[in-house]
Amino acid sequence: MDYGILIAQATINGLIVGLLYLLMAIGFTLVFGVMRMVNFAHGEFYMLGAMAVYVFTVHMELPFLVAVCLSFVVAIVFGSLVEWVVFKPFRHDELNGMIATIGLAMILQNLALIIFGPDPLSVPPVAQGVTQISGVYIPNSRIFVVFFAVLVLALLYFYLKKTRSGRALRAVVEDFKIASIQGISSKVYYPLGFGVGVGLAAIAGALMAPLFSVSPFVGAAPLLKAFMVVILGGLGSIPGAAVAGLALGLIESYASLFLSASTADMLIFLVVMIMLVLMPRGILGKGEV
Amino acid sequence: MKLMASKIALGLCAAFIAQGALAQQDTLKIGALVTLSGPGAAWGQAMKNAAELAADKVNAEGGLEVGGKRYKVVVIPYDDKYQANEAVTVANRMIHEDKIKYVIGPLGSAPALAVQPLTEKNGVITMTMGFTPRALSPEKPYSFRAVVTTAEFSQPQIDWVVKKEGIKKVGGLFPNDESGQAIAKDLQSSYSKAGADLTSEFFERERVDFVPLLTRLFARGIDAIELDGNSPATAGLIVKQARELGFKGKIIRTGGPATADIVNVAGKQAANGMLVHSVLDPNLPSTKAYMDAYQQKYKAPMNGFSPSFYDATNMMFEAMKRAGTVEDTKKVRDELAKLENFPGSLGVLNWTGKESYGSNQQLDLPFYVAEIKDGQEVILARCNTKGCQ
Repeated sequence: MDYGILIAQATINGLIVGLLYLLMAIGFTLVFGVMRMVNFAHGEFYMLGAMAVYVFTVHMELPFLVAVCLSFVVAIVFGSLVEWVVFKPFRHDELNGMIATIGLAMILQNLALIIFGPDPLSVPPVAQGVTQISGVYIPNSRIFVVFFAVLVLALLYFYLKKTRSGRALRAVVEDFKIASIQGISSKVYYPLGFGVGVGLAAIAGALMAPLFSVSPFVGAAPLLKAFMVVILGGLGSIPGAAVAGLALGLIESYASLFLSASTADMLIFLVVMIMLVLMPRGILGKGEV
Repeated sequence: MKLMASKIALGLCAAFIAQGALAQQDTLKIGALVTLSGPGAAWGQAMKNAAELAADKVNAEGGLEVGGKRYKVVVIPYDDKYQANEAVTVANRMIHEDKIKYVIGPLGSAPALAVQPLTEKNGVITMTMGFTPRALSPEKPYSFRAVVTTAEFSQPQIDWVVKKEGIKKVGGLFPNDESGQAIAKDLQSSYSKAGADLTSEFFERERVDFVPLLTRLFARGIDAIELDGNSPATAGLIVKQARELGFKGKIIRTGGPATADIVNVAGKQAANGMLVHSVLDPNLPSTKAYMDAYQQKYKAPMNGFSPSFYDATNMMFEAMKRAGTVEDTKKVRDELAKLENFPGSLGVLNWTGKESYGSNQQLDLPFYVAEIKDGQEVILARCNTKGCQ
């Protein structure tokens, strides 16, 4: 293999993983935008999405796409409910709210552990085979996943930009006080914002379930990556998360191509630290916390 | 009331004393100093059950006949919780209070090394599963091992695989910690002795996306992947992703039974053709008989490490018979070490280890190279420490 093909392969790998980070991070930043608090349970919703797909495809034998859509709906409903029941008292008490998300994360993880056990579960692959484009190998299952990740992002863009409810949600993210003066109800948009945010995490988990294995512990790594992406992109900034998500995926991929995996992992944290020192507001953040 | 309580207590004491006296007359106690709780409990159970099945067998024949006396064999379990300090505590109780001289266990390396000063000093024969090379030495004459470790099986197995598959360049993926680094180092020397080259990549244990690492390995033109030392789930993920990337070469796992989990995670199709280390041949009549007996008594699938401890317990019994005593463990130990071509459930067994440890206290068990076909292991080669066929 020559270097051109290798770099092309690394770019494709990086973009695919970057899209996953992107989905996670946009959900994360939405929740932060609406509720002004870091959701430490975000990774557990990724895990729930993956578990839901496992249950829908393996136990109920539904088609994969139906399973993904169902797990998204389940996550939005469950997420809104959780916001309404658990986080309502913390709406203007961000620090305690954050601690409540840690508790929620532990409860969700341990519930999954009780129900599904600690062993990894496998979701059947969505597509077989591999596509070869001038020497670059792309597994068909990943093309499938990328296609749907892009579709979800397009739908999200349409929702946030064009629909009334989406615009209202953005207004809440930008400035809740001014939004509420305009008649946007917090009763609706707090739970909805949280629901859509964690729904995106669930869809990321659902799409990744057939690529990786599913277990109660899969949420931790994506949470960390989403956190890094959001910090790099600027807290609360959706375009920032998009740029940073793809960039992080690419940096990781190139780094592990040229360096050993452990060095690459270290390098990524180094990049995040340097970014924080040089651009403390993130790539596109406005620096309001 | 008070009087009655003290009467009951007195009665109980008397009963215990009577039982104790009886025990000294005609029972032989075997200790199962293994891990019975927490991770590792599956192996501990398998070892304890093996000793119990061996005891059941001699008891059914009217007891173990040694030096003209018949002994009823009882197995007493001790839980070391896979911890060295816990192992020492229970070993003290076992040796000094229960006066046990024959032990199946300890399971782990750390507990094994921790209890050896005690067992060696008191002449207690142990049969460990600990993989550490320090578990056996001429200075520890009472310590034996009833499983083959990486040191025994990796070289013959790798020689055979490299020759059969014509492998030149192997890419290894290992977790970046003490055990992963140690395994990579051992395998590297085995592969280079066999005439192949192993390049290793290390990653953090929680990693799930192996595509970048695999791309890097494929760029070096590897024709096989080595997955020893990875947890079953991680190995399954690597198999799945390597096949998704269009890798056509062999995937090898030298050691660590994990086939069921790998097939579970990777799927039957991706796992097909994988070459794995296997500890038993379920088609061998004597092994099959043991597996059936196990299934019948414990109603649970048998762990692969169980039969060798059944054989080891039987070898101890044979050594006691030949020594004509159960009290003089020095004599029993010598007879045990002298046993040759012992017919066990796993085949014909001998002792080995002179070259690696300085004395023959390592059981020379057969092992197998198996290929995964449609989710099941199919045996390709039969091996012992001298080589594979």
